[in-house]
Amino acid sequence: MPLPAKAFQRWLQGIAPNASTADVCRVSGIKRTTLAQQLVRGKVSESTLVSISRAYNIGPVAALADFEAYRELAGPPRLPTRGELVSQISTPDLLRAVLSRTAVEPEGAAAGLPPALSPAPHATSVKNWVDAIDDGEVRHRVSAATGIAPQNYSAQLTANRLTPELALATSQAAGVGPAGGLVATGLVTEEEAGWPPGARQAALEGMSDADLTVLAGERLQALGKVLRRQEQDHEQAEKIWENLG
Amino acid sequence: MIDILQWTTLAVCGLVALARIPSALRGENRSLFSIFALMTLAILLSIEAPYVWIDAALGGINLTNLALRFIIFGAVFFIGVRTTRGFGADGAYRLLTGRVGMAALLVISVAVVGVFLLMDTTGSSAGLSAVSDRDARHAMLAEYYGAAGRAYPAFVALVLLPAMVRAALGRLPVPVRFAAALLGLGAIATALSLLFPFLPPNSDAVAFVVNYTAILCFVLGLALIWAAKVWTRRKSCRRRKYTEK
Repeated sequence: MPLPAKAFQRWLQGIAPNASTADVCRVSGIKRTTLAQQLVRGKVSESTLVSISRAYNIGPVAALADFEAYRELAGPPRLPTRGELVSQISTPDLLRAVLSRTAVEPEGAAAGLPPALSPAPHATSVKNWVDAIDDGEVRHRVSAATGIAPQNYSAQLTANRLTPELALATSQAAGVGPAGGLVATGLVTEEEAGWPPGARQAALEGMSDADLTVLAGERLQALGKVLRRQEQDHEQAEKIWENLG
Repeated sequence: MIDILQWTTLAVCGLVALARIPSALRGENRSLFSIFALMTLAILLSIEAPYVWIDAALGGINLTNLALRFIIFGAVFFIGVRTTRGFGADGAYRLLTGRVGMAALLVISVAVVGVFLLMDTTGSSAGLSAVSDRDARHAMLAEYYGAAGRAYPAFVALVLLPAMVRAALGRLPVPVRFAAALLGLGAIATALSLLFPFLPPNSDAVAFVVNYTAILCFVLGLALIWAAKVWTRRKSCRRRKYTEK
């Protein structure tokens, strides 16, 4: 649910009282037509708000918390769970971590430390995040709370997308910190969400060899499924071109 | 109104056939060119003026109408073969080209020729309207002749339909799904032509609209797949260039 334009204008008045819309766009790097269109429609997207708040050195999470729908985000940040942290490590990074464990690869330690983790989000971060906090009923509760049809919700996860509203609803339904979904969808950074620096690395190092290897296996299996599907789709399309193109 | 529909369909189909000539000369999917060429010819022969003109050259005994039936059978057969192969409907392909399909084609062809020979067909008139006006026996025979002529296209259409529905609802590229929907619509219209004998008298206009809807849907659907192929190829070429830089 995008932010109501009126509330947004009030908020903007508060942080940049004398700035024109053009100034705001220039400073925050938003296209002027984009913002104008959002204001005309009466709905300003969350990512617009995040860009502007960054430009004016305001924490995006705090800025969002000024709006009715995102009250939940106010207050001191809640620490992410270990599952959430690990879910925001990309599959290649996880695989590198597996190969650096001597239990898996005796030569691993000799190869030196794996490179630093790439920042969240990654190619499957949304689905991995929901899987990490799902007790088996979370999807059900989200669809009951927000009215979204389960298949539409799954479709968003598969496409590695989730609206900020649903991200918040999901964290509420799972009882975890409210900003985690915003990190997984890439709306805000880990730092902006109040995740301690190095928390993902620490969570990764805290995983036992077995847990890490099984998790990496699950990720690979999911990746394999996606690739298989893409290959099948590609083959099918090729067959159509060949016969009917 | 019917005139406009006929000539527009002829123009659309003729243009697509012309556009296919270069690729046919290069040897790409010649059967697709023959589909469009046969359909153009079929439309031409179903319009009164060219029909009478050509039939006069062939002796004025409505042999042109018989030829038209087999031109349609040919076009429909190629559409069925190409489409079922392209969309990977192996069962439908076997049904069309296997014993059942060949038997259907043979029986229907024999019926069409047989009934044609039973009639006194002198006097050119498109749709054999002058022949069926001759007496009650001829009216009945012309009805059977028409029904036999519609039977094979309807058979192919019904074989195609499930594959088209599946493709339209599947995960193929959007233009291809849209094309499959058009082909499916054409198949439905073709199958509906089986019900023409049950139409109240003087509803020729309905029959015309159904027939031409079918033709237009098939031509546009096939042309759209071709366009989608060209578009996709161009896109992937461009992408390759970007990565080269």
